[in-house]
Amino acid sequence: MSQLLPGGEPFFLPGGSTGCLLIHGFTASPQEMRRLGDHLAGEGHTVLGVRLPGHATVLTDMLRVRWTDWYAATLDGACLLSDMCARIVPVGLSLGGALALRLAAEQPVAAAVALSTPYRQPPDRRLAVLRHLTWIVRFWRKGPPDWRDPQAQAERVAYPAYPLRAIAEVDATLAAMRSTLESIRAPVLLMHSAEDDFVRPDNMGLIAGNITASRVETALVTHSNHIITCDAARQLVFKRVAEFISRHTCDAP
Amino acid sequence: MRGLGEHLAGAGLTALGPRLFAHATRQEDLPRARWQDWLASAEDGYHLLSGCCDAIIPIGLSMGGVLALLLASASPVAGAVTLSTPLHPPDRRMRPLRPVAPIVSKLRRFADKGPADFDDPAAASTHLEYPQYPIRAAAELYDLILEMRKHLVEVRCPVLVVHSRRDRSVRFSDGEALMAKLGSQDKQSLWLEHSGHVVTRDTELRAVFEAVAAFVQRLARSTR
Repeated sequence: MSQLLPGGEPFFLPGGSTGCLLIHGFTASPQEMRRLGDHLAGEGHTVLGVRLPGHATVLTDMLRVRWTDWYAATLDGACLLSDMCARIVPVGLSLGGALALRLAAEQPVAAAVALSTPYRQPPDRRLAVLRHLTWIVRFWRKGPPDWRDPQAQAERVAYPAYPLRAIAEVDATLAAMRSTLESIRAPVLLMHSAEDDFVRPDNMGLIAGNITASRVETALVTHSNHIITCDAARQLVFKRVAEFISRHTCDAP
Repeated sequence: MRGLGEHLAGAGLTALGPRLFAHATRQEDLPRARWQDWLASAEDGYHLLSGCCDAIIPIGLSMGGVLALLLASASPVAGAVTLSTPLHPPDRRMRPLRPVAPIVSKLRRFADKGPADFDDPAAASTHLEYPQYPIRAAAELYDLILEMRKHLVEVRCPVLVVHSRRDRSVRFSDGEALMAKLGSQDKQSLWLEHSGHVVTRDTELRAVFEAVAAFVQRLARSTR
């Protein structure tokens, strides 16, 4: 009687002295970071893919979680990695990217990567109304899938709906991220799909513009939906992330 | 669990100490937790270890032991260790109260802990814990213990049961009864004389560390 959705388990791949902390997105699971994790482990890095509380179990669990639970899980992962690695690089997708940037502002990290990360919640009029009615409507079905790679769509382990109560917690996470962007001292890589219809690519520029104390690299990909670690352009994403990490951690074995 | 973890790591074993959901943050977080969250935290740890180890042995203190046995009943583990683990809910009042606990806990959220039962005052003064019990979470512990009891006979792996006769939080008789009820063929016990509930940090911690390390190493040899 496992609590976790099959395929949604967190993962650890032992390797070298650079520890990559992989953080998945809202209503998703560690599964969407797994291929990137395998790629980074193949480059010789240690990889830990955390599961955020409320995720990869049952959808109703999401109604009880707060953003601080997600950030605490991120800190847990960093703490576990720091016991065996000389340096840590958080790599997050979407909500996970916001947690990675917050971690980069608060903890000593060698570099940080935020993929498909929103600067603020996408404006959706229906959600704007529904989020105040969470005691009547608890869930909202996700829109039609927009995958370029149908195989990646079939492999996906995620909830089929949005828990409306938790959307306020996404807001809180993004507010916490925005308020600390200027404290980030580590180099940052931001990547986004130019065809992301869910979190528009202009979010990347807004984040980049607010990171004032460190060097930011930005890169756009095409032929991908919001989940750029899984959709058709993923190999490009893997190569760019791996190249960025080795460039900023090459001083030691 | 830290001292025990360092002892096991010193013996050449890999040690992972997960933080259970809503613990070690703010006491106000704990009433939101359900027992499934705690079991999920334990499963997370299991999956992380499976990325670097051939054999996994969950070791839990008190409620952690309940989680270790639930993990052992459902996952391929090489063995399990329970320390000061309850077989009965700690508070008899919970049985009639359980159906109304969600409402009661809204009116009275936290209950004071009784006096600590540490034999070693130095260990008591450095124990990192919440000052009170959230009533909502106590109801979840009750449910979790019932869940474990349903699955005890499915525990087939070797088990080490450690309990102190002077445990004033979970009675010693729970340790003895647990030994009797486990479905395992290979089970051994270590009964302590002086420690309180937190046997990993109290007077006889060395005896606990050595017994756990010897048990784990015996199993590690047989899986190699």
